[in-house]
Amino acid sequence: MTGKIIGAMLIIGGCGAFGYAIAASYRKEAAALRQLISALDFMQCELQYRLTPLPDLCAMAGREQKGIVGRFLKELSLELENQISPNVSCCVSAVLAKSDRIPGRLLKALELLGASLGRFDAEGQLKGLEHVRSFCREEVDKLADQQDVRLRSYQTLGLCAGAALAILFV
Amino acid sequence: MMCAWQQLLNILPGWLSGEVDMHEKKKLQEIRLRLGALPELKTACGSIWLNRSVSSEDLSFVVNAASRYSPWTAATVAQGFLTAAGGHRIGLCGDTVIKNGSVDGIRQIHSLCIRVARDYPGIGTAIGGFRGSILILGPPGSGKTTLLRDVLRIISATQTVCVVDERGELFPESFTRGKRMDVLKGSPKAEGIDMVLRSMGPECIGVDEITSEQDCEGLIRAGWCGVRLIATAHASSLADLKTRPVYRKLYLCNLFDHIVVLNRDKSWHEERMVV
Repeated sequence: MTGKIIGAMLIIGGCGAFGYAIAASYRKEAAALRQLISALDFMQCELQYRLTPLPDLCAMAGREQKGIVGRFLKELSLELENQISPNVSCCVSAVLAKSDRIPGRLLKALELLGASLGRFDAEGQLKGLEHVRSFCREEVDKLADQQDVRLRSYQTLGLCAGAALAILFV
Repeated sequence: MMCAWQQLLNILPGWLSGEVDMHEKKKLQEIRLRLGALPELKTACGSIWLNRSVSSEDLSFVVNAASRYSPWTAATVAQGFLTAAGGHRIGLCGDTVIKNGSVDGIRQIHSLCIRVARDYPGIGTAIGGFRGSILILGPPGSGKTTLLRDVLRIISATQTVCVVDERGELFPESFTRGKRMDVLKGSPKAEGIDMVLRSMGPECIGVDEITSEQDCEGLIRAGWCGVRLIATAHASSLADLKTRPVYRKLYLCNLFDHIVVLNRDKSWHEERMVV
């Protein structure tokens, strides 16, 4: 009997944890997108005021941010300094290829950033950064839309799925 | 001799940097890249042609690397050049973009001329000992910038020297600056001369390649303030300089005490300015 109870608890716990993990990954993705928006704000101000070259700009923005976005910007700065790739888009692809576990929406935003960087004069570059920022804002808004209800559903679904399996198999 | 060799290799595509690196850095003067043609390495002993054609990707790579992937830092493209790290000057040719009747940029680059920047400490010892203002004349490639760099360094041992380095090729990071030397980098010459004159209290001002009437007017203003001037200009002799309308005011003001004329074979002689 004790064995069955432990088994049931493990199944419920496992499924519940899976539900919580999905909910946490959405929260993380929204946080990373917000970090990217903050980095883009910084880059826009810095570019407007000092026309900072791109490798320095990325390094500075990378230092301002923690987590996945900060790491990406620091690595992009190094890649640009190495001057191996023919353009920024290739540098971004090279950094993304080295990085793992980048959430889908953030990955799309970073690819968009790569496509806009280093192709235009300062005015065009500012517009490019603004475009990426708008994309990030839209994605954050989508994630935030009924976020609490949705995330609670994932957690509840996980727990319920666990309970159902426990009833069926234990 | 000092040369930012690694910085030169860094702005070249991988296949080309390997080929260039095989040649002695002492001999290489220029790298000429023309779209669809073989790269030409100009050395003191003649031209060397490499055996792989230059593609438009190669040209873009050089421009991107030299501007550090930041077109907004390369405003000088509209003037037909870019200065890479290490002071190497890259001349650009291609299809220009015209806005309001003047060149705004280059749409498609077809040719690049990369001039290898070098520093020869000590070559300006004789000229550095001159008193008063000095104008260095010479045709392209005669070594005006290299000589000016060392002369300014020598003068800065005893006087406060302000250098208005519009192209950023006189004193890049890798070259030694003088003891009492302040460098204003990237500013147009006329504006830069006024800036340092107002704020830095120079005893001597150095500028490279006077090319416009505004440059001459800036120099005249500084000369009238009692500042010593050290400058260079494109001309093969003083007689050649006199024929140019753009230098007329400068010539009539008789600001320079010494006119040093450089020849392509790196020899030099002094001419006197008589107005």
